[in-house]
Amino acid sequence: MNSTTTSPVISVSKVTKRFSQTRALHDVSLTVNPGEVVVLLGLSGSGKSTLLRHLNGLERPTEGTVEVLGQTVPELGQKELRALRCRVAMIFQQFELVPSLTVLENVLTGALGRLRGPRLGLWSYPRALRLDALAKLDRVGLLEKAYQRADELSGGQQQRVAIARALMQNPHVLLADEPVASLDPESSAQVMRLIREIAAADGLTVVCSLHQVDIALGWADRVIGLRSGEVVLDTRNEHLSKTQVMEIYRGLDPADVADLAALDSELAGVQLVGTAGPGSVVA
Amino acid sequence: MTILKDAPPPADAASADVAARAPRPRFPVDKVAGLGVIGAMIVFGLHALSSLDFSWSSIRGSIDNATTTFSRMDPISFPAFGDLVYLIGMTVGIVVLGTLLAALLSIPVAWCMAVDTSPAPWLRWLGRTISVVTRAVPDVVLAMAFAMAFALGSPIPGILALGIHSVGMISKLFADAIEQSDDGPRRAVRAAGGSRAQEFWSATFPQVLPAWIATVLHRFDINLRVSAILGYAGVGGLGYAMRIAFQQFPEGYGRGLGIAIVIFVLCVVLEVVSSTIRRHLLGTDPAGRGIGGRIVRAATRDRSREASVHESAITEPARAVTVDQMLKRPWTTTRVRNVTWGWGAVALVGASWWWADVDFSQIHWEYVLPMVQSFWPPSFGSYDFAVFAQAMLVTIQVAFAAALLSLVLSLIFGALAARNVAPSPGVRNFFRVTLVVFRGVPELVLAIFLIMITGLGNQAGVVALAFGGIGLLGKLIADSFEEVPRGVERAVTTTGATRNQRFFASTWPVGFRALVSNSLYLVDTNIRAATILGIVGGGGIGFYLTQASTVMSLHGQVTTLVAMVVVTVLVVEGVSTWLRRVFR
Ligand SMILES: Nc1ncnc2c1ncn2[C@@H]1O[C@H](COP(=O)(O)OP(=O)(O)OP(=O)(O)O)[C@@H](O)[C@H]1O
Ligand SMILES: [Mg+2]
Repeated sequence: MNSTTTSPVISVSKVTKRFSQTRALHDVSLTVNPGEVVVLLGLSGSGKSTLLRHLNGLERPTEGTVEVLGQTVPELGQKELRALRCRVAMIFQQFELVPSLTVLENVLTGALGRLRGPRLGLWSYPRALRLDALAKLDRVGLLEKAYQRADELSGGQQQRVAIARALMQNPHVLLADEPVASLDPESSAQVMRLIREIAAADGLTVVCSLHQVDIALGWADRVIGLRSGEVVLDTRNEHLSKTQVMEIYRGLDPADVADLAALDSELAGVQLVGTAGPGSVVA
Repeated sequence: MTILKDAPPPADAASADVAARAPRPRFPVDKVAGLGVIGAMIVFGLHALSSLDFSWSSIRGSIDNATTTFSRMDPISFPAFGDLVYLIGMTVGIVVLGTLLAALLSIPVAWCMAVDTSPAPWLRWLGRTISVVTRAVPDVVLAMAFAMAFALGSPIPGILALGIHSVGMISKLFADAIEQSDDGPRRAVRAAGGSRAQEFWSATFPQVLPAWIATVLHRFDINLRVSAILGYAGVGGLGYAMRIAFQQFPEGYGRGLGIAIVIFVLCVVLEVVSSTIRRHLLGTDPAGRGIGGRIVRAATRDRSREASVHESAITEPARAVTVDQMLKRPWTTTRVRNVTWGWGAVALVGASWWWADVDFSQIHWEYVLPMVQSFWPPSFGSYDFAVFAQAMLVTIQVAFAAALLSLVLSLIFGALAARNVAPSPGVRNFFRVTLVVFRGVPELVLAIFLIMITGLGNQAGVVALAFGGIGLLGKLIADSFEEVPRGVERAVTTTGATRNQRFFASTWPVGFRALVSNSLYLVDTNIRAATILGIVGGGGIGFYLTQASTVMSLHGQVTTLVAMVVVTVLVVEGVSTWLRRVFR
């Protein structure tokens, strides 16, 4: 946290979020410094998505405040919010591409925030932007697919298109909500490596929610653990090992065995099969 | 361990629970009430049929009339070839332009209506109101009212009338499609800083484009059938020529009948064309690029061929491509076809403009504002509420009587056209084709014809509407039977049930709900059609509507009558929604 002296890119202070009955976030405070790659870990329903959605103003906190790139997000008007969102890109678990559009058109939608008025069809985008979009596609290794329909691509390829769309915003911050939860292990690894490379090359600040402890440990600078909407863990990665993460999870609330069982089954589904980790945690 | 403990018991517990508690308290209340309402509607339909005097003497009288007419009229004749082409071009042109106008207008209306895209609750209400009101005001009434501000024979009142009336149906179906579309891409555009308009055009519209085109094509068919009636409002084309011919007895009847046959053939042919396009369209999703290319690609695409094109696109460029090279979109066969068809569509619209003879100098601008103002305030003129209510009742009776006749006949036709009910594929195909022909029949042209030759008004109207209804309802019934899951039927068959037992044990119960809502949909369309019958010589509310819409000082009555139709249609829609929920 104190690795740099510059002011933080993201600072969340005392945020509480309630939906009619559920309390999704409770008194969450954290800061993220420029260039940091942070992973949010937590069980299903722990509030990871909700937290991420606060960072680009898709949700408003019930209490507390969120500052991103020097702007107080909940106070922004429509126009300023759009301007902020241009600099804060987001990628999603389900990719959220428009299935019937070409890959190139999907990438171009990343530039909409900078453009005035609605766009329909390739030729409604200026040539310079089309070139730029192709360059972004080249960067994620999918230049050849530019004119194919988005739904004809594999899941991993679709997520790479979504990354190209995010790059189209020339963002300062990249938010990723479980970007690999719908992918097989190999595509997952490829997508995570791509995000990491791009983050390093462009100096992006990344906040990414994940289910897979293994990926998180091999990938993040810093791990933040959420449980029932509260931050229960916030440590730089080098101080951590997987068993420690699990220990901390368990140590915080030993009574809640069901949660751990759920975490375990999620982990078992992905990359940890065959490793010693999950077995030793719950057995 | 948790799995063993938790998972199986809920299944048992739930089914025990459901059987023991949930259905019993619910069953008597709404299901019985629902059946009661359905029963009441059937009784009302039967009563309507009997009160419309379908007695033997009146039928014999009308047969006598018909024979006299046929014996005195000239043989069937057709206009000269050149005239025929001109008339067809004009009619199709007006319908194309009117439908296109409605298609464009319905986009903002649907955008306001759909929960997912609507910017504010009051806009939702505005959108819904526009949709309901435009659906309830018959296009002919609009055309008659508009005709005052235009030179005689101008196509513009017809185009405007079709364009405004069709907004109701297209926007409703389009809004439904928007609500069914995936919210994710919209969220992605929002997260990228896109505005509401950008969300719609970049994320929503491409998803719902196939549904939109299919709806518009469907509406095109309906409008083509209605266009004959527009002739009675002075709009040029086949309908006008037919009306002029039928005004001369007996010498014009042969010519009128000839034109009616031309309209009929035109409707059936275009129905087949557009349903082929629709089937392709809904089977596949059209791909990106310009609108025109998309429309037609969607309309004509062949999935397997498409796939192979893309296959080669994947494997071929093994050679490294540069960004600059990729800026030029390759001219694949798909793209060539898209562009060709896209320009074809543009050419069709251009040709329609030319054929329909659109000329804005035909507008009498000085009449436009008084014409619009004349509809307010609503009034009863020299009549009172009782007179209008009686007329409304007659219209509702015609609608229910026709729907009941259609229902009985289309149950037979529809069942025999369903794969899983028909005794053999041959029978099924025969009835499928029959239904297509029935569907192509322009029911109002049929009504005109029957009224002409029998001299009866509402009875002829009922027969004509019932005829058209079979085509629609029969197809819907056949489709809903075919959608019954096969497993259910197989399960019944394995118990040793006969074909009939299987039908009543599995197919019928599953298809029942669709049957109820489709029948009510038919009542709804029949009410609108029955309204128009007054224009061609039937009775009911259409008679007063026609009277009032041709005289500017009586336009207040038009507003009153339309309001009554709106209320009726809303009630039918409400009952339909409720019954669908009850028989879920
Ligand atoms: N729009 C909403 N309305 C009501 N409740 C919500 C809404 N969004 C989230 N919640 C609730 O907030 C809590 C946190 O949800 P959130 O989606 O942030 O969890 P998550 O950690 O992302 O879970 P997952 O790993 O399953 O994606 C959950 O209890 C959820 O039901
Ligand atoms: Mg989530």
